[in-house]
Formats: sequence, structure tokens, C-alpha cells
Amino acid sequence: MSVRLRRMSVSRDPPAALARVLGYALLSLPMAATGLVYVLVLLMSALGTALVIGAPLLAVGLLGARGLAAVERRLARVLLRMEVAAPPPFRPRPGLMGWLGSALGDAAAWRAVVYLLARPPAAILACVAPLLLVPRAVGAALVPERLLVRALLGQTATSARIRELEASRAQAVDDSAAVLRRIERDLHDGTQARLVAMAMSLSMAKEELADAGRGERLDRTRELVDVAHRNAKQALAELRDLVTGIHPSALDQGLEPALATLAAGSALPVDLDVDLPGRPSPAVETIAYFCAAELLTNATRHSGARRAAIELRTRGRRLRLRVRDDGAGGAAMSLGTGLRGLADRVRVVDGTLEIDSPPGGPTVVSVDLPAHT
Amino acid sequence: MRIVIAEDAAVIRDGLSLLLTSRGHEVAAAVGDAESLYAAVAAHGPDVAVVDIRMPPTHTDEGLRAAIRLRRDHPGLGVLVFSQHIETRYAAQLLAGGSEGVGYLLKDRVSEVSEFVAALTRIAAGATVLDPEVVTQIMGASRRGADLGALTGREREVLALMAEGRSNTAIASALFLSYGSVEKHVTQIFAKLGLPPSPEDHRRVLAVLRHLDS
Repeated sequence: MSVRLRRMSVSRDPPAALARVLGYALLSLPMAATGLVYVLVLLMSALGTALVIGAPLLAVGLLGARGLAAVERRLARVLLRMEVAAPPPFRPRPGLMGWLGSALGDAAAWRAVVYLLARPPAAILACVAPLLLVPRAVGAALVPERLLVRALLGQTATSARIRELEASRAQAVDDSAAVLRRIERDLHDGTQARLVAMAMSLSMAKEELADAGRGERLDRTRELVDVAHRNAKQALAELRDLVTGIHPSALDQGLEPALATLAAGSALPVDLDVDLPGRPSPAVETIAYFCAAELLTNATRHSGARRAAIELRTRGRRLRLRVRDDGAGGAAMSLGTGLRGLADRVRVVDGTLEIDSPPGGPTVVSVDLPAHT
Repeated sequence: MRIVIAEDAAVIRDGLSLLLTSRGHEVAAAVGDAESLYAAVAAHGPDVAVVDIRMPPTHTDEGLRAAIRLRRDHPGLGVLVFSQHIETRYAAQLLAGGSEGVGYLLKDRVSEVSEFVAALTRIAAGATVLDPEVVTQIMGASRRGADLGALTGREREVLALMAEGRSNTAIASALFLSYGSVEKHVTQIFAKLGLPPSPEDHRRVLAVLRHLDS
């Protein structure tokens, strides 16, 4: 009945109905636009507020999680005697957005969050342990906790590696700066001084010669020229040593010939035993040579040894250099024998240095290096 | 002349001693660091001290500081300071305590022995001696470029030699001019730079350098 009524109203008054319907049609687009804008603004403000408040909140929370992780590590160290290295410290990028981004992307913080989520089951087990009152059971009950701490609160292999690389690179840079300073000093104090003295003698000799003709002056001149000549020879020898200190030419032939020269020129008798099928990288050759040279010098100067031995072996992709002397022993990293410096240098190419030097001797220093950098 | 030498490189120390004694001077002491220098000057009362700037323990400017202190404590003492490299600020510091009987030379100058001995003699007599390299650097770095630009080429040459501490006679022979011409140039220079004429050579070095540095 209502349907019929409607049809009747339309058919009885077409112009008014059409106007109404048209009105609606015309309004519909602006209304739709308004409606769309409204919804978008609503959604965006909701989202925006969430982000503007939520993101910083999350960031601060993540840093808090790191703090909690530090506390857990401390507890583990003190009570469980577990040494877990702390992950790299939080280093935010500059600026507000940088800080936010760094915090939200901090791997150590997220791993701490995972730890906090995963811990409760392990904690329940750990709580049960005291009730058992059996030490073995307590230990076993704590195993999940220990695993979690070690897996999630420590350094990842990558970050540990990066730390190590940063340290050894800084060392290498310092090292080269120190070497350059030393070279400058040696050149200034030694070679330059000698050349100035030489110039003085020659100047004096020239003046004497200007008055030549008088016999007794020629003796003076001869003396002066002799002094100048000796200074020149000495300067050349010093310069040669200095340059050898930078790179010995013997190394161009290879590590084995260079070590042979080193052994031959040593004050101590040296037994040389080299097994080197191929040539290592130049950097490794240089470091191995200088280690051998320095260790031999130590043996000669500090140990009171009568004989020394240098052994070089290849083991797969690594070289092992051993310098042995039959002296008094007692060599250590801390004393001023330059062993610390050698160890640092060796570390730069991922090598190691070990000292076996009981008091009374003999001393064996082992240097382990990769054959190729 | 009685001389005390302070130089840490033994080779140069010995060479200087040899040189000075062969010219008939007395080398009262030859030491290798500042402390020994003070002791030697106090003990022997020399006419002039020859001091290397770089000495132990730090090998930076021990000699310079020693020279300044010696000039304060021993007014009549002439001091010649020498170094491997030119540092114009060392010259300034040295001259700050007055310009009479003070000198600053490059070690290289020592290789012209007669010139070196002559410079030492002039210092002992109260003159100022500055290495030409120092003067070149000071003049080059001077902000008084406009003033210097007002001088003729010849006047600039005379100015440089004046700044080295040379007397009019020495300038005349160096530039192959007559004494009278040099005097005229000097008067012109002082007029153009707006400086009052200075009676003594060492004072005018100071005047010139102060002007160039201002």
C-alpha cells in the first residue's frame, strides 16, 4: 500500500520530485568530498598522534630495555660468574629524527626486548630450582636462563668483530703517526746535524784553500777535509740505517732471504729454520721480518743469551714465526722491550703474539700471522 | 770574544767550537741543554751565547725561552739563537725584550763560516742580526702592503737589509751604493713609513719590524 502511495505521489507531481532528486544528486559530491576529508583527517590524526607519541615512547622504552639488559648482565656476572661482553654502546645519529631512528633501529635494544619476552618461562623454571634443594638440579634449572642471557644480551659476532677492527685500525693509524714522528726526529737530530757540521767543515776548508800557497795552511785544510769526509760517510751510513728501518731492501727478494741476512748480521749466532713454500702478502712479510728483527735484538740486548734460533713454519693459511733464545728469560709484555708494540702491530693483521719466558729461560716468542691479508 | 755554545747535536757543537777557536775566540763552555747553559753563563760571564732553539727535554723551544731569560738576567750578554726552520713568531718573541745584541739565524747560515762569525761579532757589539729568510717572511706577511708598495724597489732592498740589522756601511757595500745614497734612502723610507728616524741600527730594526707587524 505504501509503495502504491509513493508511485502515486511521483506520478501526480513530477516537477517537484525531480527537483528534490536533482538537489540530492547535486549535493552528493560536495557531501562525499567533505565526508572523505573528514574520515581521512580522522584517520591521519589518530595515526599521527600514535606515531608522534608512540614512536618516541617506543624509542625511550627500547633504551630502557637496554638498561634492564645491563642490569641482567651485571647480575649474571656477579652471581653466576658469567662474563658476557656488553654490546656496543648506543650511539645516536645527530638530530631529533636521527636519535629516533637510531633508537628504533638499535639491534641490541630489540634483542633485549626479545629477552624480556622470552625470559618468563625460563624464570619459572629457575624459581622452581631452590625448592628442589639439590645443587645439580639448581644448576640444571638455570640452564635456560644462562642460554638466554648469552644469546640475547651479549655482543653479536659482527659487532664484536667491528669493535676489534676499530681498535686495531686506530692502533695502525697511531702507529704510523708515531713512526713518522720518529723518522722526522732521527733525520733532524742525526742526519741533518751531521750535514750541517759537514757544511761547516767544508766552508772552513774553502777559506783555508783561498789562502793556499802557504804550506802550513794546507795541513789544516787536509784536516778539515778529512773531518768533512768522515762526517759524510757517517751520514750516509746513518741514512742507510734509517731507510732500512723503513723497508729493508732484502725483503724485496723474499722473507727467507731477508731472515737469512738478519741472521747473518746478528751479533748472536742464529740457527735459521724456514719452511715457506709460497710468498705471503707484502704487509705480512714486513711484519714478520720486523718481529724477527726486534725479537732478535731483544735476545741480543736483554737476555744475555749465547745462541738464538729463528723458526718459520707454514700451517695451512697461517705462518708461525718462533724466535728462541737461551738467555735469562723473564720477558714480558709490560717491560720496555717493545713486545707490546709488536703485539699491537701483529694484531693489525689479525695475528697473535705469545711469550713463553720463565725466569731462568729459555725464551720462546711465537708470532702467528695469516699468510695473506 | 768569550763565547758559550748551547747545542744538543754534538757534531754541530764540536764544529762550532772548532770554528770559533780557530778564529781566535775563546769558547768558555759548550753545553747540550738549557740548564747547563744558565750555569755556564753564570760561571763564565761570556760576551755572547750561541743557542740552538730545539734542545732537550722536549725539543721544542727550550733554547728560545733560555735566550729570553738570559737576556733578562744578563743585560750585557749578546745572544744568537739559531734553528733549523724559520718561525717568525720566535723572532717576535726574541725581540720583544729589546733588540740590542740579539740575533736569530737559520742553522744553514752556519755553513758560511765567515758570515756567521761576523754576525756573532756584531751581536757581541750590540747590533741586531736577523736572518734574511725571517725578514722576507715578515715582509711578505706584513699587513702594511700598501706602505711597502709606496717604496721603490731599491728602497725595499734597503729596508730588508735594515731589518736584518745591517749598518748603513754594510748596506752600501751589499748593494754597491755610496754611503750617502744609503743615508738618503733610509731617510726616505722612514718618511714614507711615517717612522721617526732612529739613531742606532738595532733600534731601527725594532722600529721597522714593529711597523711591519702592526
